Amino acid sequence: MPASAADDAPHSSGVEQHAPVLGAVGSGRIVRPRWRARLVRGFVAVVLVGHAVLLVRGYADPHKFFAFQPFNESSTWRADIVRVTADGRRVPIEEPWPGGYDWDELVRWGVLEQPDTMRHAYSGLGTALDFLDDALDWVADNTPDDDETLYLEATTEAYRNTRGPEVLVLRSDLREEAR
Amino acid sequence: MSATVAGPVPDDPTLRERIDDVFDRPASLRSMALLRLVLGPVVLVHLWPFLSDTLAGTTYDDHFWVRWWGFMPAVPGVVQVGLVWTGAVAAVGLGLGWRTRLVAPITWICVAGNLFLSQHHFRHNRAFLLFLLAAVALADSGRVLSLDARRRRARTGTSPTDPGDDLGTVWPMWLLRVLAASVYLASGFSKLIDPDWSGGLILWDRAVRHQHLVHERMPGPIADAVVELVTARWVHAITSPIAVAMELFIGIAIWFGRTRLVAIWVAIFFHVSIELSASVEVFSLAAIAALVIWATPSTRDRVAVVPDATWVRRLDWLARFEVREQPGATLRIVDRDGTVHTGGTARWLLWSRLPVVFPFVAVAHAVRRVRP
Repeated sequence: MPASAADDAPHSSGVEQHAPVLGAVGSGRIVRPRWRARLVRGFVAVVLVGHAVLLVRGYADPHKFFAFQPFNESSTWRADIVRVTADGRRVPIEEPWPGGYDWDELVRWGVLEQPDTMRHAYSGLGTALDFLDDALDWVADNTPDDDETLYLEATTEAYRNTRGPEVLVLRSDLREEAR
Repeated sequence: MSATVAGPVPDDPTLRERIDDVFDRPASLRSMALLRLVLGPVVLVHLWPFLSDTLAGTTYDDHFWVRWWGFMPAVPGVVQVGLVWTGAVAAVGLGLGWRTRLVAPITWICVAGNLFLSQHHFRHNRAFLLFLLAAVALADSGRVLSLDARRRRARTGTSPTDPGDDLGTVWPMWLLRVLAASVYLASGFSKLIDPDWSGGLILWDRAVRHQHLVHERMPGPIADAVVELVTARWVHAITSPIAVAMELFIGIAIWFGRTRLVAIWVAIFFHVSIELSASVEVFSLAAIAALVIWATPSTRDRVAVVPDATWVRRLDWLARFEVREQPGATLRIVDRDGTVHTGGTARWLLWSRLPVVFPFVAVAHAVRRVRP
């Protein structure tokens, strides 16, 4: 015999039945010290405000950190990178490097490896070129056995959402080792 | 067919009461527990490239890296080794629900710590993973579907079906809902105001650039046809505004009961499409798993009377139903308000609430409704 609708009725609110387990009284709400309740609400408010600030800031940040703007461009870029020596020579990084250094091994990140090849601008042109600029400085600072390079220079050719080219020259910091 | 038997009419709560409910009214943590189960393996997959590097003796500072803030001191590479391996062990504990209150924050700290070692570790999908891990760590997500829960029940003699077994504070879930919805809205809005995006240029270029992924993931003849279609420029003049609209729709419609199931289905379709057309690490799996947070945080508040309960019990991961097996009975669902559903309505209500079959049932349901 099928059960009646009344027999089938779901349990009444589990919250009310089990409120004592969770320390609630009356309303079925959790009872917390006032300071803790305020702390929780304050924490949530800070998180939401911080999140909103980062979302807005993303429109001015080339990296768009925590702004959640994925796949934002279809830009492409490439770069000719040279070592400028203390005596003024401009040596492409593909040529032998004092100390046996290799650009790809130094950066070891697909986004910046083989820079002379036209490639998709990872996370937008701003991000890619900013990281390239940082990489020039990092490489300049982390090639101690190279005693001839004064600085590294990248000449970039970029197409922003297929439009361009935009040409930019980036330079690393000057290196003490070659002075 | 439906018939209302009883239906208490609750008073409309004020905004203040609603906010207090979010913070202080306990509710089911089962959806957070389900998310936790998925995040354990997701974190392991996320950390694997870093673990692999450390096994090869390489850490982040052996090659190009960029500190997040100028004042931040250089962190030795050995710290990364500690972070990723501790994070991996903690992720196993997280997935199992072993000492969840301890391992969940550790997992978050390790994943966040590794991300903040260098700016070039940042990805939007990793930021989203941090949100998910934070919410799982802040909620008592080990309360159910965990070794912790088994240990607690062995100690207290309670049963998994006891009402209240899965109750806890759910403000982390509400916070995650806001963050997750805002991610869809932020992404959609940034594309909406970019004419290159909404006009189809960017999506077309992406499709052309990633067409090899279609070949990697689909059988040859099908892949050829798909590639021919998705690399046509005109297709993206149509699909790009649709893609933007989908993101905005998900971010808004997911908040309302009447549109939530549609929004969840659209979100699943959206993430599967991204997974097929791009390389987004663990994002697709994490984002689809995160959709469970939109389930109403109450369990067994509907009764399902079924002739055979085997599959319903196996698939009812969110414990939406109090399942009563009555051999020979026809399917009957008693809803939260006492309404009794039978026939097609009951079938839809039952199968649409079982996460793993929902995407397919929703399509069948929609087709049936469209057909005369």
